[in-house]
Parts: sequence; C-alpha cells; structure tokens
Amino acid sequence: MKLTRRNFLAWAGIGAVGAVACEGFGIRYGELDIQSPVRLPEDLVRGTDNWYASLCRVCPSCEGIVVRVMEGRAKKVQGNPFFPTNQGKSHARCESGLQALYHPDRIPSPLRRSGPRGSGQFLPVSWQPNGIDSLRSALQARGSSSVMITEPLRGHLGLLASRFASAIGGEQLGFESLDNNTYRAAVKNVFQQDNLPDFDLENSKFILSFGADFLSTWISPTRFNRGYGEFRQGEHRDRGMFYQIDSRFSMTAASADKWLPVRPGWEGHIALSLAQVIVAENLQATGVNVDALVGGAAGTQALNNFRPELVAPMAGLTSEMTGGDPVEFLKNLARSFAKTRPAVAIGGGSAGATDNGLFNLEAIYALNYLVGSVGVEGGVTLNPGSPWDNVPAAGKVGSLADWTRITEQIRSGQTKMLMLHGADPVHGLPESLRLRDAIAQAEDLFVVSFSPFLDDTSAMADLILPDRVYLEDWGDDISEPGPGYQTIGMQQPVVNPLADLDPLSFPDVLLTMAQELGKESQLPWSNFKSMLREGSDALFALNRGSIDAASADDFWNRLLQRGGWWDEKSTGPTKVQAPNGLLRSIAEKASDPEFSGIGIDSDSYYLVPFSHNTLLDGYNGHLPWLQSAPDPLTTVTWQTWVELGDSTAEKLDVKEGDIIRVESSKDSIRAVAYISPAVPPDVVSIPLGQGRQHGSDYATDRPGSESSNVMDILETTQVKGTGSLAWAGTRVRLFKTGESVSISKLEGDTRAEEIGTTPGEEIIKTIKPENH
Amino acid sequence: MVAQRVDHKWGMVVDLDRCTGCQACVVACQAENNIPINTKDYFQQRRAYEWIRIERYWEGQFPNVKAKFIPILCQHCENAPCEPVCPVFATYHNDEGMNVQIYNRCVGTRYCSVNCPYTVRFFNYWEPVWPERLRNQLNPDVTVRSRGIMEKCSFCVQRLRRGEVNVERRGLEPLTGERIPTADRKLNYRQMKEGNYLPSCVQACPTNALQFADQHDETGPVKEHFDEANEQIETREHGGHVDESHTRVYRLFEEIGTKPNVVYLKKVEPFPVEKA
Repeated sequence: MKLTRRNFLAWAGIGAVGAVACEGFGIRYGELDIQSPVRLPEDLVRGTDNWYASLCRVCPSCEGIVVRVMEGRAKKVQGNPFFPTNQGKSHARCESGLQALYHPDRIPSPLRRSGPRGSGQFLPVSWQPNGIDSLRSALQARGSSSVMITEPLRGHLGLLASRFASAIGGEQLGFESLDNNTYRAAVKNVFQQDNLPDFDLENSKFILSFGADFLSTWISPTRFNRGYGEFRQGEHRDRGMFYQIDSRFSMTAASADKWLPVRPGWEGHIALSLAQVIVAENLQATGVNVDALVGGAAGTQALNNFRPELVAPMAGLTSEMTGGDPVEFLKNLARSFAKTRPAVAIGGGSAGATDNGLFNLEAIYALNYLVGSVGVEGGVTLNPGSPWDNVPAAGKVGSLADWTRITEQIRSGQTKMLMLHGADPVHGLPESLRLRDAIAQAEDLFVVSFSPFLDDTSAMADLILPDRVYLEDWGDDISEPGPGYQTIGMQQPVVNPLADLDPLSFPDVLLTMAQELGKESQLPWSNFKSMLREGSDALFALNRGSIDAASADDFWNRLLQRGGWWDEKSTGPTKVQAPNGLLRSIAEKASDPEFSGIGIDSDSYYLVPFSHNTLLDGYNGHLPWLQSAPDPLTTVTWQTWVELGDSTAEKLDVKEGDIIRVESSKDSIRAVAYISPAVPPDVVSIPLGQGRQHGSDYATDRPGSESSNVMDILETTQVKGTGSLAWAGTRVRLFKTGESVSISKLEGDTRAEEIGTTPGEEIIKTIKPENH
Repeated sequence: MVAQRVDHKWGMVVDLDRCTGCQACVVACQAENNIPINTKDYFQQRRAYEWIRIERYWEGQFPNVKAKFIPILCQHCENAPCEPVCPVFATYHNDEGMNVQIYNRCVGTRYCSVNCPYTVRFFNYWEPVWPERLRNQLNPDVTVRSRGIMEKCSFCVQRLRRGEVNVERRGLEPLTGERIPTADRKLNYRQMKEGNYLPSCVQACPTNALQFADQHDETGPVKEHFDEANEQIETREHGGHVDESHTRVYRLFEEIGTKPNVVYLKKVEPFPVEKA
C-alpha cells in the first residue's frame, strides 16, 4: 500500500481508537508488554475451602487452631484468632500436625508382635475379635497390676484415663522427658497455686529470666512470643529491657538485651543476691511488707550470706562477662529490676534441673514479691482452676522417682501390664534406668500401645491398637497456663481417616472396655463425644463466659465453631499473701549444685542438654518439616550436634563436622561438632530429639554418629524435694573419634558473622534506644 | 483478556527487634506453598528450598557475644536484577509491586538466580517427591513445580487473589458475608486479616515481626514505613543525605538500588558488642 497523507491519517486514527479500546477492555497497561499467554496458575482461584476450629496436640501447651479443609482433605493448620492463649498465632510445630495426619508411616491397623520383644516385628490383626478381645482379656487378667503411661493429660481425657485406671485397679501417669514438676512445686511453694501462672510480658517493662527458654520450648512459647513482640515494639509503650541469666546461650538468650553466662545450678544464688541488694537498699515496691517476706532479723542475716560479693565468684561471673566489676553488675541489675516496674522474674529449664533446682526456682520466683509483680499487670498472672468440679486442669506427670519405681516394678514382675499413649519413655528416660531391658526381659508382662506411629517403646509392645490422630478425633483441654482466666479448648475431627487406615479412637476404646468389664458406674458414657457433650452442657449451665446460647445444642455448636469457651471474668487471684519468712526459708534450704559421676575436674565439661526447637524431646522426630526446620542458632537440621566453644574446639583440635564421643560415667554417645562463639569454655550442649531406634525413616535413617539420644548418657540425679530428673546435672568428657561428616545446616561452610564495622555496612542494622 | 482489578501495591515490613528466629514463618511457608521436603542431602548440598529463611549472624566472641536473626525472602524489588536477565520473560514485575515467576515459561537457565543479590531463588534440581499419603496435604491453590525450573516467594499470591475475588469481585465481607457496596470494594488490612488473605508467614509469625499490607492502605501497618523508605530513596536520588542514626527503616542492600518492596526495621541494641 502506498503511503499517502490520507492513508497515514486513517491508520493513525485506527491505532488511537484501538489503544483506547484496549485500555477499556481492562488489560493493565503495565502488563501489556510481557503478559504471559499462559496465566500464572496462582491467579486462578478455584474451589471452596472450609475452616474448622480445633486444638493443636503437637506439643503439651494448649493452642487453638483452625484447619483448612478442601474436598475432605486437611490442607493447612493455623492459629485460631479467637483463642485467648495464642490469639491466631502458631509455632512451627503446629503446622506439622498435617504431616502426622497424612504420614506415610502411620500404623494402618492393629498389630500383634510376631518376633522377640523389641525386635519391631509385627503382624497385622483385625480389631474384632483379635485386637479388642486381646485387650479385654489382658485387662481382665492384669488390670489390677497395670500402669498406663500417657502424655500429660488435662480435660476430659485426663478424667477418663485416671478413672479408667482406678476402675481396673491400676495406675495412670503422664510422661515428659523434661518434666515440669520442679517448676510446679516452686509455684506451689511460692505462690500457693496448683495451676501454672501466666506472665504478662506484653505489659512488662523488665524481664529477668533464669534458664527458661520461653521463646523456644518452655511451657507456652507461642503465647510468650506474642507477648515478647509487644514487649519490644508494642504501640503506646516504651521498649522493655530483658536480661537472660543462663548457662547456655539459647534462642531466648539470643533475643535478650544482655546474656549473663552462669555456672549451671547457681541461678538461685544469684536470685538471692539480687533480693539481698533490693532489701538492703530498700528498693522494694510500695506496700511490700519486707520484714514479713524476709523473716525478720534472722532472715536478713540469712540473706546476707548471698551478698553479690560472695555469690559472683561462686557463680563463675567474671569482669569480661559483666563488662566491669561483677559485684557492681549484680547490684546495678538488682536496682534496675526493682526500679523498672512492672518487672517479672521467670525461672525454668536448666535453672530447675540440677539437684538444687527447687531452691533455684523458689528463689527466682520470690523476687516477684519484692517488686510487687504478683497478680498485677505486667507481672505474674495467676490462673484459676477448672470450671468443671472434677475435670483436672493440670496433668499428673511422673518424676524420675516414679519412673525408677515403675521400672523396678516391671523388673520384679509386680507390674504385669503396660498401656502406652502419647509417650515414649524408653527413648525419653535416661538409658541407665534400664527401662528397655526391664520391659524386654519381663516374662509375665503384656504391653499395649495405642500409638499411631511406631516408636522405641511401642516397638516393645505385644499389641498395638493405633489411635486416631488428633485432627480425626474429639477432645478438649484446659489451657495450662491459661491467660489469667478460665479457658477451655475444644478439639473436633476435621477430616475422616483415609480409606487405607483403620484407627480407633483411644478414649472410645477405653470406654468400650469399661463397659465390657462392667465398670459403667465409674465410666457411664457410651463414647467420648457424649462425655464431652456432657461437659459442654455443664458449661452451658454455668450461664457465663464467651458463648451466649439459647439452648444446650446451640451452645455445643458455638463451642465447636469458636474452638472453645472462656470467661474473662473468672480470673485467678490478684492478691496473694507471701508466706511469712519466705526468703528466709528459701535461703536456709540453699545448697550448692552437686555433680555426681565424673565430678568436676579440668578435663570434663558441664553438659547442658536442651529441648529441640521443633522436635522437643524427640516425640516429633517422625515429622519431616520439623526435622528440616533449622535450629535457630546453629541452623543444623536432621542431625544431633554437640555445641563446643571456640576455646574448647581449639583445645581438642576439633573442627566443625568432626564426630565427637561424649562420655559420662553412665555411657557415651557420638555427635557432630558444631563450633560456636557463644558456648562457655567449661560447657557443652546437646539437643534432645534424635536417636530413635524404631519407627519412621524420617526419625531413624541416620547413623548413630549423626543421630543420637543425649538421654542415654545422663546421670540419674534427682532434684531434691521433687524427685525430677536433674537433667543439667551431668559432667562429660569429650574425645575426638577421627571421623568427620558433612554437617547438614542452612548456614554456609563459613561461620556467618556480622562483619559490618561501620554503620551502614551491616546486614542487620541496629539503633541505640535513645535514638529510637 | 485480563479482568480489571483494583490497583494494589503490596509490601512487607520486617521488624528485626521483634524477631526471635523461631522458624514459625519457615514452616508455615513450606506448608502453604507445596515446598518439597528438605532432606538432609539438600542441606548438605546447600540446595534446601526455603522461600523464607532465618539467617543468623554471630557478633563478637564469648562472653561478649550476640546472635542476630533476620528473615530473608524475595524482596520483590522494583528494579529487580533477576528480571532483565530472563531470556523467556518467565520472571517479570507486575504493577502490584510483586516480582512474579511464571513456572511454565521457565526454561531453567538460572540466570535470575545468579543475578539475585539476596539468594532467594531456588532451582528445582530434582523432581519433587512426596510419599503418596503426604500428597493429600498439598495446597490445591499452588502449583507443584517440576524439575528444571526456578521458584521463589510469591507473597502468597494465591491468598491475595482469593481475597481479591471474595472482597473486590464478589463484594463479600470476610467474617459476616455481608455485601459490600461497589464503591468500597477495595481489599483493606482488616479484611485481609479476617479473611486469612495475608501471606502464610505473616499470618503465623507469633511476635508480629512480619507485617504485610497495601503500601497505600492508611489502615495498614506498613504505610508509614514505606513512606519513610521512599522518602529516603528520593532524598538520595536528589543527592541529599539521610540521617540513618535516627531511623529504624532500611532496605537490604540499599546501595545497589534494587528498591525492594520489603522494608526492614532495625534492631534496637542497648548493649552493642564492641567491634575490633
């Protein structure tokens, strides 16, 4: 076509109209150039999802969740925004409930042992008659000498399990590798409370924490993390100050403004030295009756034995650690703690896990009275009991003393039946207790496991009756610690078990057994759901709390919809009278930590084990998301590592990835060396969580040098006054094996250090509080 | 034809003073986005897939030692170095402030990965494999990426799209289901929270260290920080000086001019480690 003036104008006109039309059609101008002819699949949203409220059961704290379900399959777990304790937030562990639900290694149907006990050889059997009949006959013959070991149980399952055990004449005990009995005893002795308290971090201005890894694994980390976020940068408040006094540089210590490394077991002495300064300098909060709290002149005298001048050298504090005179540091810390109110003192973890752990925790929690932080905003919030008369709000958990007794009973033939649910004591107790051997060698013992997964204890079972996973089952829980008021969480089945799985609900099996054994008078319910419904009706009858319903049916529906019930007006006590002479009595029971076994010499180290951020004590070891979540500090995944300080590594001529043999007086394990700039020269740390011998490949497919169980080498020292395992009371020696492996971690081969030396060069930039 | 959409400019703010390194965001992202299981081998080969990861940096030596955490994810740069190097336009910048990866265009040259200064692009060296039963968990809203292509953080675009469909096209209030007048149909921060349209990492973060919203949303938590960050850029571009000692706002590798749509807030440090 010849280009004429007329043609040019015509084409220009058509082009202009076309451009306007294109814009009008809605094609976004910016995308015209490179709009894909193949759309981004995520642009196309199809399908309708449903969200069901329930409870997370991956760790012992009670957190409300909502589960996304599409076409009968659970797709996502998130925090329930209505639930008071976690307020829509969740821990990494919560998400992995989905992997438990759809785990390839779930036990599909009942199994009966076919090889020697402990060999892990089983044959599938049917529920009826084999599974249920075997259980009934075992209960008939051996129920009166049975022990039921469960996870720490609260709520109606706690009531059911304890009633069932007492109906058949047996015993029921909760199990945790690192139990909280010492913490619980300290709370009872200091605050006279049966329920664990909450800490109002959100409104606190000063956190003084001793040994408690509360942002990672201790008690209720999601709740504490939420409060911590507000403590740092909440609106309408100043940034809080946080000191962590701890023998290990934990994830929580990393978030503290100041970490004070202390010798294991001396935390109580430091707490009393702070108390001594507060009392001597008259820094206590207004209205605190110091004389009554201290216990008069005799109490003051007792406290004077804990003057910073005496305590600082005992606790191993040096001027390098404190940036000057350690004595002055402690005095200044006491002054800041007392003057920056509301302040809160928290103690737990390794601080309560040496033989003098109860003294340590009592001394720490007593500080809260001095600064007037008990029952006030920003301090220790006390929790009320259960809204139901007979339903336990706190799980009964066995201590090392209990497990020693039970092991002895199994060995002597006194215990003839073991029932297991949600607990793996063979893996979770010190090897030197010889529970594995006791079970393996007991001739007249019948072991039933209700676990949906094989673990080290279930592998010793004669019969495995797989339970439903919590996303398929009913349940409830009483938040412990609650948020300061009565809080109930409801668990409901969000999906049905897959067609190739045939689990039966553990509480339903117990209720069926109760009926078949003629125990209806103690356990009159036909199934667990009807038991929960009765509990719901009782809450409805209280006529208070978060649910306003016209009828009991309506109440039940709303209870399930919201994922629970809570009553903000039913709070715990806001005023507690401190026991007279509390500080004196604590000071008088003070003792130095003792380390049996190897003892303290120049070739040995303090062993400070710790609960793994995602695997905890190893009960989550079969969940691949949790295995592959890097440890926050070392970034190690899938392996057991031993944390060594730079000076220790240099002394032993060890480099990262070397296999180290860690030996106590009881046994030795092998672990991969991780060399850290933050480990004290006389300390080594090893996480719990790995070293399972039986079960899913995700937990067991690594060699012993890469996956070992630190419980195997712990001394069986008990905490005085509670009988709990003093798990931070072991000394070890280290030996190079000459072997080395590639460490499995997110961090690169070179240690990731902040190298920016001038402002502006750092990856993680900082600012001084005064400029903020 | 592309449907008319309400304009948005998405942005994330990461408060380093709140972050505790807990890994909740990391696992939440993996659960939402069908990320393959990171085996031990993947970590040993430095090929683990983490669309968001927590980097930890040591500072100092015992006893004066600190560990600092920083969540690193795709920065959704305005001047994204990954975009111009892609020979097939598999990665491009949309006008919502997002750096988008079109999986079925990608031919796996890995140029984008090489050119990304933040190391947040992940190449599928293997076909992702899940045991059959675990596949039930896979999110139907998210593509399972095959071997040979690149993937990265998408700001959970599938959640944003669901929000746009429900609020802006259907006009439904997330919690109540009430009709929204046509003139008010613009997804706001409250609706994103209530309707669960925030990215999975932000939703999970227990300390609220991660915040996400439209950068222009007056009701959202990110606007003031982006306004300040943009002001900083403008000042610098006009040869001015930004007094960094009195602001918490910064962008990662500001000096290379990528203009990320992720803004960091500095950690507050009362007792800094003295550097050599």
